[in-house]
Amino acid sequence: MASLELLLIFTLISGVIAYLVGKVHPKTGSILTIIVSGIVFASLAYFGLNEQLLTKVSYLPYISFIQTPLAIFFGVLVSFVFFMVSFFNPYFIDKYTYKAVYSLLYLLSLAGIIGIFFTDNFMTLFFFFELVVWSSLFLIPLGRDEEVSVWYFGFSVFGSFALLSAILLMQSVTGTFDITTGLQAVSGFNRLSVFILLLIAAFAKLGAFPLHYWLPKVLTDSPDPVTSIFSGGLEKLGAFIAVLGLVKLVPTGFFIDVMDMYLTHYILAILGSLTIIGGTVMAIRQDDAKKLLAYSSMSNGGYIIVALSLGSSAGISGGLYHIIAHAIASTAAFLAIGAVARQTNTTKMSELGGMLHKMPITYMVYLIAIISMAGIPPMGGFISKWLIFQGVINKGLILVAAATFFGSIGSFLYVFRPLAALFLGQELPQFKETIKEAPIVMLIPMVILSLLNIVTGVYPTNILAYINTLLVDLNIVQLDITRWTIVGTNGTLNPALIAVMFALGVFIAFIIFISLKKSRKVELMDTYTAANFIYTEELLHYSVDFYAPIERLYEPYIHFMKKFYQALANKVREVGALVKYYIFTSKPEVATFFIMLVIAILLWGDLV
Amino acid sequence: MMINILIGFGVALFGFVLQTSLGGINRKIIGRLQKRYGPKWYQEFLDIFKLLSKRAISHGWLFDFGVIMALGGIIATATFMPVTNSIVAFPNYDNFFIFVYLIAVGMLGMAMSASGSGNPYASIGVMRALTTMLAYEVPFMIVILTIIKLTGTSSITGIAEFQQLAGNNWFMIALPLGFIVSFMALMGMLGKKPFETYIAPAEIASGPMVEYGGKQLGMLFIMHEITVFIEVSLFVHLFLGGAENILIFLLKYAAVYTLVNLISNVYGRFKIDQVVKFFYKWPLLLAIVQAVIAVYLGWVI
Amino acid sequence: MKSTKFSELTQEQIDRKWWEIGDFFRRNSLWMLMYCTGCCAIELPPAMTSAYDMERLGMGPMATPRQADVLLVTGYLSLKTLRRLIYTYEQMSEPKYIVGFGSCTINGGIYHDSHAVINQLDRYIPVDVYVAGCMPNTESVMNGFVDLMTLIKNKQANGWIKYKENNDWYKQNQKEALGEVKIKDEFHE
Repeated sequence: MASLELLLIFTLISGVIAYLVGKVHPKTGSILTIIVSGIVFASLAYFGLNEQLLTKVSYLPYISFIQTPLAIFFGVLVSFVFFMVSFFNPYFIDKYTYKAVYSLLYLLSLAGIIGIFFTDNFMTLFFFFELVVWSSLFLIPLGRDEEVSVWYFGFSVFGSFALLSAILLMQSVTGTFDITTGLQAVSGFNRLSVFILLLIAAFAKLGAFPLHYWLPKVLTDSPDPVTSIFSGGLEKLGAFIAVLGLVKLVPTGFFIDVMDMYLTHYILAILGSLTIIGGTVMAIRQDDAKKLLAYSSMSNGGYIIVALSLGSSAGISGGLYHIIAHAIASTAAFLAIGAVARQTNTTKMSELGGMLHKMPITYMVYLIAIISMAGIPPMGGFISKWLIFQGVINKGLILVAAATFFGSIGSFLYVFRPLAALFLGQELPQFKETIKEAPIVMLIPMVILSLLNIVTGVYPTNILAYINTLLVDLNIVQLDITRWTIVGTNGTLNPALIAVMFALGVFIAFIIFISLKKSRKVELMDTYTAANFIYTEELLHYSVDFYAPIERLYEPYIHFMKKFYQALANKVREVGALVKYYIFTSKPEVATFFIMLVIAILLWGDLV
Repeated sequence: MMINILIGFGVALFGFVLQTSLGGINRKIIGRLQKRYGPKWYQEFLDIFKLLSKRAISHGWLFDFGVIMALGGIIATATFMPVTNSIVAFPNYDNFFIFVYLIAVGMLGMAMSASGSGNPYASIGVMRALTTMLAYEVPFMIVILTIIKLTGTSSITGIAEFQQLAGNNWFMIALPLGFIVSFMALMGMLGKKPFETYIAPAEIASGPMVEYGGKQLGMLFIMHEITVFIEVSLFVHLFLGGAENILIFLLKYAAVYTLVNLISNVYGRFKIDQVVKFFYKWPLLLAIVQAVIAVYLGWVI
Repeated sequence: MKSTKFSELTQEQIDRKWWEIGDFFRRNSLWMLMYCTGCCAIELPPAMTSAYDMERLGMGPMATPRQADVLLVTGYLSLKTLRRLIYTYEQMSEPKYIVGFGSCTINGGIYHDSHAVINQLDRYIPVDVYVAGCMPNTESVMNGFVDLMTLIKNKQANGWIKYKENNDWYKQNQKEALGEVKIKDEFHE
């Protein structure tokens, strides 16, 4: 379907159909989500990348579409994540209380995504933004804990209000809701205000410091496929709004000469750095694998903010590439953990061990994903981190650079933790008999994502070339790329060469290995124990408090944001109780009176 | 292209031979310091070939695969290493970040294989190694940022040539604080005392290497020698002005490595949290001070 | 290995050649695992440090049995430690050698009539070289190591092959000494 409008209507209608079918047979309803999201992804990718999407609107009122490279970039990426994750739906649908609603909400979020990225009107964007927030809001409680959706709602409302205020402020100054012209026309102090409001919305959606509190909670406690959607897809809405604010709307303010950037952007880079450090430090100390990856998502959100706030071609293309690389890698990692969770019913690393021996393919998927997440060649994460480092070093941002380096090395620590504790180590007896490799339909998306991780790391030229067309659209100098190399400001990178050398190196090592005497195979339990006889697997499995020595160093200082938000929540609760006590009493006439009073106050200017 | 790849593997082989001989010589030097006769200078070769000749044990496919990945990753990293200004396999592509991150593939392979052996000591060793890495890498990278910002290139030969052109003004002299920080970081990278926490033979039975014997251990030894070659020659190129010809390279290389060894032999071992605290106190502060002085104020000797 | 020069040799001869080359490396780089059960262990520090410096022979201490080539049994072995010694020995990678220290490993020494101590170590695991004396002085310890190297050179240090070939006999002896193991968990044996 080349028409965006038809695509939108199709998704909405098939959402309803999936709901009706799901009422009768839940599994069929969830299989429908695979087909629909597949069609959406295929049409967006095929027609979008050829710039043949039809933007004409003939049925829906008030909605208009535009086809920009930025929209296609995000649209294809996020719909791809939805498509990949949807393969997991049939296997998880039995675990939910409301099976049919799940498919409906899943497709509603997808429809909202199309709307957000492809609209040219800010009000429409807001409408679809809310559609995504509300549909995802009801996806979360299907998981383990229902309270987290309250946190999600609180932060989303805050972000939505910021977005709405930004839109209304922009409209009142310029008189238009159009995104491009509107953002260009805002000037002076209003420009700064719109900028700040937009970024509050972006931070709230991206889960960046100081509005990060909901992210780990939601990503931990929502159902496993929804977690992947959040990390790979919905979080990127924040990145989209950040691009709108940081790149399309550059407020002129105090300029720091020595760093060659605006003060506003420098402050954002510092906030991004704090996000990186906070995410890294918290991820290191988690016991729940999903929570660990949730904090890593937060940390990577920080990278995206830092990269976009640099404003240079290396920075922005690095940021956009990081969005892709992280979406692919984190979706793969979450799916791998989800596959393990389906087989074992837990994601606590202290309870798992030795999954490698029963789930080798899942293990390889996770391995490739974490290599990319840690920014190690030859995977996609390396390219984006390299570009971001180029940007940061070129601007000479010492503190930001320290944070990005810390996050990058810290990511080695936290991504290794699930690898060691969950997949490696001793094979625990309770999983020896019962565990099997994940079903083949679940393996399909994981393997595709792993291949993409490698492709983005070995041959990034096509994607970077597309990002270059996008940079033209955003009025930024293009990145200098050739067929095989990327030319940064202070160096040239040849990803394919690195991959080839790595392959050759492994080949040589393999030749050395194979030509030597064959090893004797021994059991896992036959291991060095200082000559003690140990027959219990748990005693030889080191997974509890893995990074205890380093955790001890910062443990006393980490709870200040949690305390702040808990205190805030208590205050909100108290005010709610107050309002309930005085206004919503047992007498309905009192409540009606107050409601009338509020309406009267709100309409004061128009009535009198 | 073919010839470049061959040069690359030549560099890796050269690095292995150089570092293994120098390692033996250093063992002899340390022996003499302790009033011993010391081993033969080629002792490290004997050790490695002996290990390769033994019949090892294996804990499963990942145990072997990790070792292969480790050695392969390190060989691949070494191929990018310039030896002198002219002996460099892939000119323009000897980017600094390749060394930091491609070396990590090898480390990851080893860590994976060690954890896969199912021995808790190995996991503890890996944990300590990663923690140490988190400690030394941040101050070191800030110093590198300063250097890249000053020279405008992240190519290792580019940085070396910059120092040679600037009238032999090595960064060792131009950035004295940064040099001190990086030297400490180098000791951490090489796992020398006092940052030897993750090997700690008496404490956690040589950490990640606890389950290896025979050919796997031999391959890890080869990997270790090449890693040391990469790290020390990186230091030579970054701070000691690189090398115009191979003789100067050998001289500088031997000087740096021997100095590290001499210093490390008078120290005891830190606890792991002491390592982290140490690096995040003075070296980090000195590195930031150096960066501010050099980048923002422009005071470079 | 398939070059024309060696093509006339049989596979057995080729293996033999490789084995000889390997023996050269093995005897020049003996890594020890010290099982310090008795008083003879006190002779190892002077052997390692500047007085005798065993590193010049290429020997050095190692942390785990997997990495080590030589197992040093320094003194008497109670039944409880014997079980652990066997476990350790079986974890070592081949080829592996054992050096027994002091008269305790030869015939029980001053503990020859103890109910808790074994007398002849060679009945339980194959010993390649004994260093006699109670306790042996450091010269004889060093001499024992040199003897081991000579044995390896002459292909006579094949205790590990004997252990493989006569495994039943060794297991029988071990079982007689130690008795059957009843409960198997980490606190009992």
